[in-house]
Amino acid sequence: MRRLIENRFGLLALVLVALGALYGVAYVSRPAPVAQARPQAVKAPVESVTAVCPAPSGSRVSVVTPADPERPQTPGSATLSAIKAPGKNGGGKDDVIDRVGLLWQRDVAAGGGPLVVDADGSMAAGLESAQTARETSGTQRGLAGVRCVEPGAESWFVGPGPAAAEMTLYLANPDSAPANVSFMVYSGEGPVLSERGNGVVVKPGEHRVIRLRDLAPSPLIMALQVSTSSGRVAAAVKAVLGEGRGVDWLPVAAAPATRVVVPGVPGTAGQRELYVAAPGERDTVVRIRAVLEDGSYALKNKETLEVPAGSASSLDLSTGIGGQPAALVLESDVPIVAGLKITGTGARQDVAFTAGAASVDLGSVVADGRAQGKQTSWLVLSAPFAAATVEVRLLPAKGEAPAPIEVTLPAARTKELRLTPPKGSKGGFSVLVRPKPGSGPVYGGRVLDEAAKDGQMVTAQPLAMARIWALVPPTVDSPGVVLP
Amino acid sequence: MHSVTAIVVAHDGARWLKETLAAVLRQTRPLDRVVGVDNGSRDGSGKLLTEAFGTGNVLTLPRSTGFGEAVHEVLRRLPPAPGQEWVWLLHDDCAPDANALQALLWAAEQDPKAAILGPKLRDWLDRRVLLEMGVTVSRSGRRDTGLEPREYDQGQHDGIADVLSVSTAGMLIRRDVWDELNGLDTALPLFRDDLDLCWRARTAGHRVLNVSDAVAWHAEAAARRRRRIATSDEHPRRLGRRNGLFVLMANLPFGAFVRSVLRNVVASTLRALLFLLAKQPANALDELAALGSVIGRPLRLRRARKARRKGRKQSWPAIRRKLTPPGAALRRLADMVQGFLAGAGPVDSAGRHHAAADRAQEDDGDELLTDSGGVQRVFGSPVVMLGLILAAITLAAERTLLSGLLSGGHLGGGALVPVTGGASDLWRLYVEDHHGTGLGSQTWAPPYVAVLAGLSAVALGKVWLAVGVVLLGCVPLAGISAYAATKRMIPYTPARVWLAVTYALLPVATGAVAGGRLGTAIVIVLLPVYAALATRVIAGSRRAAWGFGLLLTVGTAFVPLVYVLVAILGGLAAVSFGGIRRGVRRSLVIGLGTPVVLLFPWLVQVAREPGRILLESGLHDERLTGLRLGAESLLMLSPGGPGVPPVWATAGLGAVALAALLLRRHQMIVAIGWGVMLFGLLVAIVVSRIDDTAWPGVPLAFAATGLLVAAGHQAHRIAEFRAGGGLRRLGAMLIVVVAFATPLAAATLWVTKGADGPLRGDLSDPVPVLAALQSAPGEGTLLLRSRDERVGYTLLRGRGPLIGESDLEPPREASARLATAVAGLASGRGSTYVQTLASFGVRFVTVPGSVDPALRRALDSQPALIRVSLSETGGLWRVAGQVTVPPPPATAGALHRGWLWAQGTLLVLVLVLASPGARTREPEGDYADVPVEEGPRGRRRAKEDRVPA
Repeated sequence: MRRLIENRFGLLALVLVALGALYGVAYVSRPAPVAQARPQAVKAPVESVTAVCPAPSGSRVSVVTPADPERPQTPGSATLSAIKAPGKNGGGKDDVIDRVGLLWQRDVAAGGGPLVVDADGSMAAGLESAQTARETSGTQRGLAGVRCVEPGAESWFVGPGPAAAEMTLYLANPDSAPANVSFMVYSGEGPVLSERGNGVVVKPGEHRVIRLRDLAPSPLIMALQVSTSSGRVAAAVKAVLGEGRGVDWLPVAAAPATRVVVPGVPGTAGQRELYVAAPGERDTVVRIRAVLEDGSYALKNKETLEVPAGSASSLDLSTGIGGQPAALVLESDVPIVAGLKITGTGARQDVAFTAGAASVDLGSVVADGRAQGKQTSWLVLSAPFAAATVEVRLLPAKGEAPAPIEVTLPAARTKELRLTPPKGSKGGFSVLVRPKPGSGPVYGGRVLDEAAKDGQMVTAQPLAMARIWALVPPTVDSPGVVLP
Repeated sequence: MHSVTAIVVAHDGARWLKETLAAVLRQTRPLDRVVGVDNGSRDGSGKLLTEAFGTGNVLTLPRSTGFGEAVHEVLRRLPPAPGQEWVWLLHDDCAPDANALQALLWAAEQDPKAAILGPKLRDWLDRRVLLEMGVTVSRSGRRDTGLEPREYDQGQHDGIADVLSVSTAGMLIRRDVWDELNGLDTALPLFRDDLDLCWRARTAGHRVLNVSDAVAWHAEAAARRRRRIATSDEHPRRLGRRNGLFVLMANLPFGAFVRSVLRNVVASTLRALLFLLAKQPANALDELAALGSVIGRPLRLRRARKARRKGRKQSWPAIRRKLTPPGAALRRLADMVQGFLAGAGPVDSAGRHHAAADRAQEDDGDELLTDSGGVQRVFGSPVVMLGLILAAITLAAERTLLSGLLSGGHLGGGALVPVTGGASDLWRLYVEDHHGTGLGSQTWAPPYVAVLAGLSAVALGKVWLAVGVVLLGCVPLAGISAYAATKRMIPYTPARVWLAVTYALLPVATGAVAGGRLGTAIVIVLLPVYAALATRVIAGSRRAAWGFGLLLTVGTAFVPLVYVLVAILGGLAAVSFGGIRRGVRRSLVIGLGTPVVLLFPWLVQVAREPGRILLESGLHDERLTGLRLGAESLLMLSPGGPGVPPVWATAGLGAVALAALLLRRHQMIVAIGWGVMLFGLLVAIVVSRIDDTAWPGVPLAFAATGLLVAAGHQAHRIAEFRAGGGLRRLGAMLIVVVAFATPLAAATLWVTKGADGPLRGDLSDPVPVLAALQSAPGEGTLLLRSRDERVGYTLLRGRGPLIGESDLEPPREASARLATAVAGLASGRGSTYVQTLASFGVRFVTVPGSVDPALRRALDSQPALIRVSLSETGGLWRVAGQVTVPPPPATAGALHRGWLWAQGTLLVLVLVLASPGARTREPEGDYADVPVEEGPRGRRRAKEDRVPA
């Protein structure tokens, strides 16, 4: 020991040994790389829902909330009432619905403004409502249905322009704060700057009906963006093509994205016209792919569609997908919005519209299904990217619910399903579509047609994700969030 | 014709008397009569007088006789001489030059009005130092020579000057004037009797002259306490002060007298307070006692004033011109403060005849004392150059940070919340019982908030300035502190420069800047100071122990781990050194106990959650630490996380420190340095392995300090090797290159990569302006940010969070409710979550940055939330309807109040005990193992030895 200390290298050796030991300790105690357990969002049932049926006068309003054994049953009810300012009694009698799992329908008399569906508790989760009008004559001849939408900050509509049809915008504000709404119309020639200003304030409880011809008289095709700088508004657009040419509502289109799926094209014959708009500042070429019953491919001579910046374009796809149930997958380098016009057959035509839609991962509900007389309801389901299994359940207005059907969708295939209620049930029914766990994204639409003598009447709506579940993100109280 | 009688009064002055008597007898103008007075000397002074003057010429008086009394006694007995008779008064410690009398008489002949003449007095020991050439007095009764302390006589003041007064040492006075004025006032046995006499002489229309051709050397034995004063029991300081005041007040005309009383009462109180602060209670007592004894005896004062009434008012304008100008007092105060700051303590010359106080200390900048110009002097100093170079490196590295900061951004990021608010906000946060911020909290604010508030108060109330200087400037500050602190440890200046630069650019320092770690930045600056003070604490210095305790308190408040490290090392030191030196243990207890006492309640909280010991102030985030920090990183002193250079950057330091182990001289220091290094490393390993959010910066800084001391201490050997020539010279060069490679590499990497990591200088206030403006007082803003698939949130009240608020704990029940509400809000499932938020007083919901679409949809789907704005820079939603701000709960903050007062009192006490005072200088630095620079100590000795014992 003494010699070690007296040696010139003794201390160095001691230190090196100690350093080596510390290195060893540090090396051994180094924790193994652990995969960071990502916090998972938790599914929770939606607790309150507000929806606005834009113009239900003379229409049948359907309201349904699917029952779900997974969900704890809590008291809850939905109220159907005329739109009114908060704190005021709108007069008239409100309809209260509190039966979960059963379709509630009522024919609303002509006249009157929008109806607001307010639901909470177990009636709220998955509440779906729709209005469907059926006229057999006049300019309004045809089937015209639309989902009652929740008020929001931004909505897109894609369809014919005010020069091709009488387009009417319905705005309603059921909230307690005023909504500062502005519009933007993208026509075939570029964005339309209105001389009359493109903004309007909708006060709480108010509703407005705006003729788009006043905003932009010339476009033959258009994409309309309704957005609010503050507050929320429920927007809907009705297109009346004219006597004998059909009528329907434009469904809300998915917000601009570089990949848009337009689902729910029925297998009936008739014209199909695609509308695409690129609201950004770059021209683009949209690649079109059809997902059909026998596979997915680009359509001959209709592989691409050029859309100039800030403009809308249309493309007739009747020869490509006419007569086959289909969904369209549009891809582009810049965000686009898309819609599709479906024209029925016959001497007097009727039209229906579908539009870009999100996949129905957590399920979807269609409120209004009919299978009476000459009316037929179709469900067009597509799995454009990966195979999926979907459970389809009918919810009748009365009587026992039939057993659910399971539909298997191979990847890149579309299937059309004719919805038939069990024998004996009367009245309409609702449809609950739920992809099975492990399925790829599923897109779909419901088409309702009636083979009238003077021409087929038709209406369609893409499946929207039901507001059954909300994803509750994991939260953390951290003062550090003040930092970017 | 003149006749001169010399009167030498002796009192225990045998030490000087021999020379004095010889000088008196050697005068070129022979004396007509000489008289010696022995005031009861016990050291043979009487015998010396008798030997020199003969028995008949020596008068023996009792021991308690004063100087004036003795002269009176002599003159009473002495018959008048023919012609113009002069009396030459001499002290036993005052040796006149051979031709002094001749010069005085010559001057007297030139001016018939001259009644009192005095020689130029020089120091007895250092014979060229001027003591006085005429004395005046300030309006506060302070004697003033008008000379600089220790001013050398080069004839710069020469000439015959009309002065207010001259000293009795060597005073030549006309006997008739003496008789007319009744001589020296016997009520003033010592000090200022000369002033009084001269003042009276001037009042009577005579002149008082100082003659520079006459020189006398004066030892000022009584004033400098070289001998006991027998005439009074009091301390010469108190006596001098009292007599000064008395003379002033007795001679001033009435108006000036009243003003003088007021002025002196105020001034004395102030001075007494300053003395108390400087831990000189005796001085303070003397000051007050002197004033009290003058004012407290109005009858005596009245008698004296009555006796001096004649002609007082008429002569006042002439005398006033001779008094010290009023500005001098301020100048002296400035000098005093300066001296105090420099550690000398207030230089009190009230009781001394001259401010030639023995400033027995070496200044830190001895190297500054060259006679070059100011600029060259400043820039030629290593410490200034070091600071400038490091500051330049820092500026270059922090360019983006600083430009952001200068363009109005907030500093923040990493562990630092965006710095907002002012010093007063921090003070309020520290002292308030209930914190209204967030959900409200009753937690006592952590003590570092108070430290930061104090720093901000110094920085003109701007917290960002204080934080910016400490955090962004931590590299140059650490360099300067390391350079200054190693003064006693490492005598070789190039080694100190290398050590300081290497220390300042350690990975810990750059990492602390990039990570916004204010605590580590402060500890890095303080660590060398700890080391320097610790060596003095081990040497037994009590004052250093208090200072050490205070600074350790500051460090501990920011980084509790510092205390643990220091306590363990201190314990080891106590075991090793405690036996050697008396009082070391007590000093250690002071040093280590002070933080515990000052931070007690907070330390209890920390001890309850031991995990907090590993964390420092500010935010804790896993992303700020090097997860799974490699063993090689730790070994190379790299703490991981943002802002640290690659592992190899510190290789040079390790190599040099290992090489230092091979030298056999002073191996003990190297071993201690390595011991500290290994200890720090071990703690760093433990810290980084226990807690993912803990950053081993501080233990690695400890380790690096040990390493640097080990290497730096042996660096002077390089010079030896270089002188050795040949292979040794080459080796020395190689070692220098390797050693300087580390700071060079660190600086280069830092500058090229930039100092900003998570820390940014361009942050905006987390509360949007709109929300801040439209919120009623107390209403809150909920800030959401989705990150890593989770939604982080925090509740702000009208302003961004202050530093320290993140450490407050909100009530558990409320925070659970808020968490539920936020989760529900972010899910968009509806329900009454917004109402819950409104019940917490939330008026706005803000999402900074580009808003996650899912979150935006969720917030937009809430009917009770109104979107105010949405853009790339963030979204803002307003809660519609009623918002109720929860009322603050009634708090009983008596305990907190009490503790704050106690803490404040303790802090002031420790500050006073730690601050430098002038009374005693402790022996410093002579501990066993670390060799001390011999120079200064030798110098100090020499000064002490100069005083004849």
